[in-house]
Amino acid sequence: MSFIFSSSRRCLLFVLLLCSVSLIQSCLFQNPDGGQRVGIGYNKGYAPEQPIPFSHELHVGTHKVQCQYCHNQVERSKSSNIPSLATCMNCHQQVAGRNEPDAIKKIRTAYSDGKSIEWVRVHMLPDHVAFNHEAHVSKGVSCQTCHGEIEKMAKVYQYSDLSMGWCVNCHRQPENKAPLNCTTCHH
Amino acid sequence: MSNHENHQELENQNKPAIERDRTYWKSFEDYNDTPEFKTALQTEFMSSPLREESANEGTETDSVARRDFLKLMGASIALTSAAGCIRRPVQKIIPYTKQPEEVTIGVSNWSTSSYCDGQEGLGLLVKSREGRPVHIQGNPQFPINGSAASVKSQASLLGLYDPERLQKPFRNLFNDKRTNKETVGLSWEDLDNKVVESLNKGTVKGEVALLTGNISSPSTNAVVSDFKSGFSADHYVWEPLAQDDVTEGQKTSYGDAVVPNYRYDKAQMIVSIDADFLGTWGPTTANNKLFANGRRNIEKMSRLVSFDSTYSLTAANADIRFRIKPSQQLDVVLGLIAEIILSGRSSYSSNETVKNLVQPYKGVAEKLGLSTDAFTKVANALWKNAGESLVVTGGLATRTEDAMALQVAVNFLNSILGNDGKTILANSGNKHLKAGYADILNLIKKMNSGSVKTLIIHRSNPVYSLPQSFGFKDALTKVNTVVYIGDKADETAVFSHFIATDNHALETWGDTEFANGLFGIHQPLIRTMYDTRSFQLSLMTWAFIAKKGPKRLQDYETFYDYLRAFWKTEMASKFSGGKDFTTFWNDLLQKGFVGEIASSNARTFKTDALSLIKKKQTSSTYELALYPTVQIGDGSLANVGWLQELPDAVTKIVWDNYASMSLKTAEENKIKQGDVLEITANGQKIKLPAHIQPGLHDGVISIAVGYGRTHAGKVGNGIGQNAYQFLTVKNNEMLASGFPVEFKKTGEKYTLVTTQGHDSMEGRQIVVTATNKDYEKSKEANIHRHHTWNIWSGHQYNGHKWGMAIDLNTCTGCSACMTACQSENNIHVVGKKYVMQGREMHWIRIDRYYAGNPESAETVFQPVMCQHCDNAPCETVCPVAATVHSSEGLNEMIYNRCVGTRYCSNNCPYKVRRFNWFNYAKLIEKPMHMALNPEVTVRTRGVMEKCTFCVQRIKEGKNQAKKENRPLKDGDIKVACETACPTQAITFGDLNDENSRVAKAFKTEPRAYALLEEWYAKPSVRYMSKIKNNDQVTPAKKGASHA
Repeated sequence: MSFIFSSSRRCLLFVLLLCSVSLIQSCLFQNPDGGQRVGIGYNKGYAPEQPIPFSHELHVGTHKVQCQYCHNQVERSKSSNIPSLATCMNCHQQVAGRNEPDAIKKIRTAYSDGKSIEWVRVHMLPDHVAFNHEAHVSKGVSCQTCHGEIEKMAKVYQYSDLSMGWCVNCHRQPENKAPLNCTTCHH
Repeated sequence: MSNHENHQELENQNKPAIERDRTYWKSFEDYNDTPEFKTALQTEFMSSPLREESANEGTETDSVARRDFLKLMGASIALTSAAGCIRRPVQKIIPYTKQPEEVTIGVSNWSTSSYCDGQEGLGLLVKSREGRPVHIQGNPQFPINGSAASVKSQASLLGLYDPERLQKPFRNLFNDKRTNKETVGLSWEDLDNKVVESLNKGTVKGEVALLTGNISSPSTNAVVSDFKSGFSADHYVWEPLAQDDVTEGQKTSYGDAVVPNYRYDKAQMIVSIDADFLGTWGPTTANNKLFANGRRNIEKMSRLVSFDSTYSLTAANADIRFRIKPSQQLDVVLGLIAEIILSGRSSYSSNETVKNLVQPYKGVAEKLGLSTDAFTKVANALWKNAGESLVVTGGLATRTEDAMALQVAVNFLNSILGNDGKTILANSGNKHLKAGYADILNLIKKMNSGSVKTLIIHRSNPVYSLPQSFGFKDALTKVNTVVYIGDKADETAVFSHFIATDNHALETWGDTEFANGLFGIHQPLIRTMYDTRSFQLSLMTWAFIAKKGPKRLQDYETFYDYLRAFWKTEMASKFSGGKDFTTFWNDLLQKGFVGEIASSNARTFKTDALSLIKKKQTSSTYELALYPTVQIGDGSLANVGWLQELPDAVTKIVWDNYASMSLKTAEENKIKQGDVLEITANGQKIKLPAHIQPGLHDGVISIAVGYGRTHAGKVGNGIGQNAYQFLTVKNNEMLASGFPVEFKKTGEKYTLVTTQGHDSMEGRQIVVTATNKDYEKSKEANIHRHHTWNIWSGHQYNGHKWGMAIDLNTCTGCSACMTACQSENNIHVVGKKYVMQGREMHWIRIDRYYAGNPESAETVFQPVMCQHCDNAPCETVCPVAATVHSSEGLNEMIYNRCVGTRYCSNNCPYKVRRFNWFNYAKLIEKPMHMALNPEVTVRTRGVMEKCTFCVQRIKEGKNQAKKENRPLKDGDIKVACETACPTQAITFGDLNDENSRVAKAFKTEPRAYALLEEWYAKPSVRYMSKIKNNDQVTPAKKGASHA
């Protein structure tokens, strides 16, 4: 009798396993729908207060400063850099800032004290995801594709949900010739 | 019997019985095929001792755990719904105020540097990310070691981030007996003033003494000699593993005290008498490289003969091995000389003194219990390869009463063979290896007489590595001021007055001369993390305050300035070739070295030295042989977890030292593995567990030094016992081996933990060895090719297809690959308890197989990592698709998808998958986390992991090629283990590139075979069979089948 019992238990286990597999698979393969629905834990629209009310609208939109003037390492590194204070001071040595004189003062003081500004991170991928700016920029993906119309943002917010489905949607397009191996991003 | 059991029995009957080939074995249980072992084999994984513990916990605990779990679930659901789109934790980005020019966030910088541990020197290339060093490898252009680096040099990285490193200067408050009462901090200013006050009191020469290890740096030597002249100081050089036996022997035989450069690649016949040149003796990385170079071409491969009393790594790699006792070393050499001289072949054959000297040793092999035929053959082969042979001896196991005679005899033998100037290059060695026991014994004498007033100790730990009987600790109390310059509060530091805390090597400038004429630079990779100061700057500061010593010692504010000025005045003229100094200096930093190794001529052997050859060491039933291990060495890096967890090269035991003995000795004394023995020698007693070592001489007890630290730190304290206690002095010579040893059982048991011995090859073809004779007949000798077929066409690889080839013939088992992998891939150290349960995390392991009977077991090493199978058994069983196949043939492991079912590990025929049973990452104490490679995810609990073929390096290489708009070349991508391998046994590359080294190995190498080919997993790794150059013929196997 023990044989029958154990085999029925095995059956039960198998069914359970199938259920869990299909559940997980449904999560893995059906959820991503191109950033239409924001999932739990994603941060689309996240726009934290920054220590300096830096306006991309003013710098990029109005004054037409090139993205790479400040984010100068984006073409040769996987991480795009927040510019050093020295970069700010290139202009703000002279430009006092009509709209936000206090903010400019803050930068100048920090610079002369040799201190830095603690920016709040807006775009954050989990630790197990490796994104490479260099690879995307060199393929001609524009900044706006992922970061939205940054030249119109007075305050930066997260434009895309940065979910895996959102990444893979682009990588799947044959014209992009992008790799689809898991280790492209996860290792 | 129940139906179920009945059914199983039927199933077993229907299975074809595997006829097991019993050539290779991993443990005695395996060899004897005990019933316990057979049962253990049936289970897929080791049974965990913890499993029984948790079973006893009872049901109540379980229900509590369940309730807690549910509570937690509720809480976390509430959290997520309330959190909405508020992200936590909030991360800050703090950019540089002024961006350093050379730093690109996210891009590694590689800087040249160097490493010297007093034994060997290596040219390094150190990888740093955002200003912190994260990985150490060799400098590919450096002539001595190339891209390879030793286990210890790579692991020294962790020393930089050791949380227990001293962070500021200290002083010890002593009680009446001058033992340590308390260690307190003080300012550099106070320390300097007090030290200078004491230094100034020294008026007679020698009242100030300096004790250091070997210093290979010309500029540091200049600082030391400047300091000596300023303070009329004496400089004593000593290392626990000093090679003064070699230097003294050379001096007596030829005139100059040198450690020669041995060319293992130029020798056809290498004979080692207890010199572990592949593991622990001399510049091992270079030795491995040269040795492998002499064996890569199998038609012309060299032959290694080893006469040894400890089963060292060199012994394990020998083609022909003779097991001897330490007291027999001299007999062996004189026996070999007798064979050559008395047969009238050498020019020395007519020399009466020589003839009289060796006459008694004719036919000594029989007396020593060695095969006379084999022994004569060795002597004949030496003579046949005169000028192309090499005899070496040295190291702790040869430090018997005969040490000096042995060295002279070996030098004489090499001179008879005309090897000097050909395979022994006296003028090309490292001339800075001056350490010797005479120095330390002399210092102790001086200290005791009260003539040393101030003693400065740097990078030396005599309180630990000298036995109490030498009396160093007592002598310290007779010195007015003891200043210790080091970065740990080690055994010696706690008995000094002041600790002038030193920088770590990676924080210090310097230079090196590892071979005569070849100069390297030592760049710091990080600014001093704490309030520490380099040894050189401390000496310079004291000279400046005391206003003593040459101008240059007092003039410079930093050692960097001194070093630059030193190179400008002393070196630039020789090497700059007309370039201005700044260009020369920048080129030097870029390249890492300058100059070339000086050439050597043959020297004349001084026959007077032969008078020293007198047999003094008497034989005893059981003799002690001390040896250092590959991983721990002299014990100075004992606090590095990577090293403690690295299995011993031969025994594969971790986290311990032990007393090794042969099976016969153990049986005669009714000793079993793990029985704690009380070992007595030279009046010293130590309790150590017994380890039964196949292939050891029946009259030897061998014990590793470097263990039993008391002040190494949390990791290294209390691991094993301090075998340095057995050292002794007789006639002013230090003895480490050859003296009688007694042992008795204490009745206690101790568990020695090994990473091997719990599974078996089950007769399948896993390692393949053949002999040179087999190879002459067929290059595919002993490889059983299986007929395999498939109904599926398999994966298509249109781009790259990564593969690896491993040459077992050049692999020496040195384990450098394991440490490289650990550093590159953030592999956790789990500790002895979990290794015991088979939970070690190494992605690459080196399997050691014994072959033959336990008395004269031979060894084969085989590195095994994930085989990246095309038909991977792990992929098909993963319920969540966490391990999948890539379009480039990689078997990918996706940590964030893994739910920890462990089915993959269960189904892996190679057992290379590692499971995170606990959140080991949580145990990484700050600032150890700074050593983590930011390119590789740190795995958390419940996740499976395994070798990725360094996919991060593959990506980096591909991106680099793309950026430069060129196709990827073979060799662009070098994985961590391949880079670190000194023998180039590991090659990685693209199988779809016809011209790649890997593709050639796969397609054209007749020695190549796949592991468990018959299972048709189609691994992407090929092994090439090991060839033993021993002139034997492997007997045909009787009906052995490969399942």
